[in-house]
Amino acid sequence: MADVVLGIETSCDETSAAVLVGGRGVRSPELASLVILSQDVHQVFGGVVPELASRAHLAALPRVVDRALAEAGLGWSAVDAVAVTAGPGLVGALLVGVVYAKALAYTGGRALIGVNHLEGHLFAPAVEDPELGPPFVALLVSGGHTLLLDVPVWGRYRLLGATRDDAAGEAFDKVATLLGLGYPGGPEIERIAKHGDPARYTLPRPMRDEGFEFSFSGLKTSVLHAVRASGDLARDRPHLARGFQDAVLDVLVTKLERAVRATGYPTAVLGGGVACSRTLAALAAERLKGLARVAVASPRLNADNAAMIARAGWYRLGLGERSDWTLDARADLPLPGLEWPASPAHTPHPTSP
Amino acid sequence: MSAPWLAIDTATDLASVAVGAPPGAQSGAHVQGARRHEIVQLIAFALSPLGLRPADLEGVVLGDGPGSFTGLRIGWAAAKGLVQETGLALRAVPSLMAAAAGAALKLDPVPVAACFDALRGQVYGALYVFHPGHVETLVPPAVMTIPEFADRTSVRPKLVVGDGAMRYPGEVERWSGAAPVPLESLPPLAAMLLAIVTREGAARTIDDVLTAEPVYGRLAEAQVKWEARHGRPLPDSPGASR
Repeated sequence: MADVVLGIETSCDETSAAVLVGGRGVRSPELASLVILSQDVHQVFGGVVPELASRAHLAALPRVVDRALAEAGLGWSAVDAVAVTAGPGLVGALLVGVVYAKALAYTGGRALIGVNHLEGHLFAPAVEDPELGPPFVALLVSGGHTLLLDVPVWGRYRLLGATRDDAAGEAFDKVATLLGLGYPGGPEIERIAKHGDPARYTLPRPMRDEGFEFSFSGLKTSVLHAVRASGDLARDRPHLARGFQDAVLDVLVTKLERAVRATGYPTAVLGGGVACSRTLAALAAERLKGLARVAVASPRLNADNAAMIARAGWYRLGLGERSDWTLDARADLPLPGLEWPASPAHTPHPTSP
Repeated sequence: MSAPWLAIDTATDLASVAVGAPPGAQSGAHVQGARRHEIVQLIAFALSPLGLRPADLEGVVLGDGPGSFTGLRIGWAAAKGLVQETGLALRAVPSLMAAAAGAALKLDPVPVAACFDALRGQVYGALYVFHPGHVETLVPPAVMTIPEFADRTSVRPKLVVGDGAMRYPGEVERWSGAAPVPLESLPPLAAMLLAIVTREGAARTIDDVLTAEPVYGRLAEAQVKWEARHGRPLPDSPGASR
């Protein structure tokens, strides 16, 4: 078991490093530092430009790591292992972190572990809450993913449902663009939706009343039609933002509730960038009250960050897993331990809550 | 320089490393582009027969580009990871200079051009003369077509090397009067980095290892379009001057 794990995350547009301190007999390591540098360069594009992201990671990553070590009050000699995001994500951006991490591990004779970004998100709440553990239902919602998982134990992830088209965060970004709002779209829509009338626009709730899968592209099209029909977008913008947000969050929480009822688990975990939405967390807590505890990490641990990568890496290192110098970055890296629904008999019955 | 240096070049489709006391290389290894992410394994492979660890080195010399964006970042990310903890010296030599040196060091001091394929009808090109103690840069690295390259200088190169030269053999022969020389017929670039790193005019010393970037040779396409549309530099862009 590694005592001190340096985590590195470069899968998209956040350059991040974190230090976790654990040790023998420690059930859950403590977060000693977390540094996240957000790349502002993408804002004018309304989305992430992969080449610019990769360049920015190379320019920033060593300084971010230096700062994480300094804030942890530790020197290089204290670091036993390096955990790095190996995918999924932007492959050029991932490669910067993976190769740099390999060089750090090789230079210091350290253990190296490649971590799946999605598994990192599953571990994010456990960084702050050592008691948090399976079994739980997890809803991972970000700009790249929308997944509903049954987690009976760490390392075993039964897929209940995923999006058929746009990820929830991607839909927020696209609708924010339609509404003339900034990037990333989720926080912008949440901010302006506070001033919106929920009754002005009742938008469709795609697939809400069936199963565990998601679809958001039709909802996005509905917003597009409403924008085109609006005679005064400045006036209607907050109402459209409210209508869209209510529709997305209703679908997400309805399916989360359905999964909790189907599994009978006492805990529901929200993870990923969209889980930074206070409105989502509040709605989930309200709808699951008396049914399950809703665990949500603080916003800095729900965004892409290296603390969750270090925590997932710490778990994998504890199992005796190690990566070697051939570790590669993969844009489509599958979640380890992911089990697809084999047959209806093995799938929790998806009844309406 | 009597202590060993590690050389890394990943600007082309052949990633290479070499170890030795400049100008000589005692050990080396290379892989094709698809396996460039294994550069750390390559470094370990080159160091281990000499019984060396990174901390035993005096410094790292790195191919500075221009060339493959992803390739450059792989080499630079590895170098930063090696140097950051150990405090090794870091120097960068233009990858085009290393390619030209592969042909030029066998000759008297004559002008030798190197061209890497930059796609879109262009090459990354530069023109050098290698003197015994120093390297003279006649045309510094730039992105251009072969005719534009020829227009930049009145000097006719004795040889033109590189995959960019091989892509436009007719234009190269009209300019130089000689057939282009493929990279495959030259020594790996990392060995050439060691061969010339001590020559005056060859290397730049990297003082701020943490934030340094390679010479990409081109801005990102999205940045080019944004700046053309807005008539001003892209805000918060990394390496905007490159």
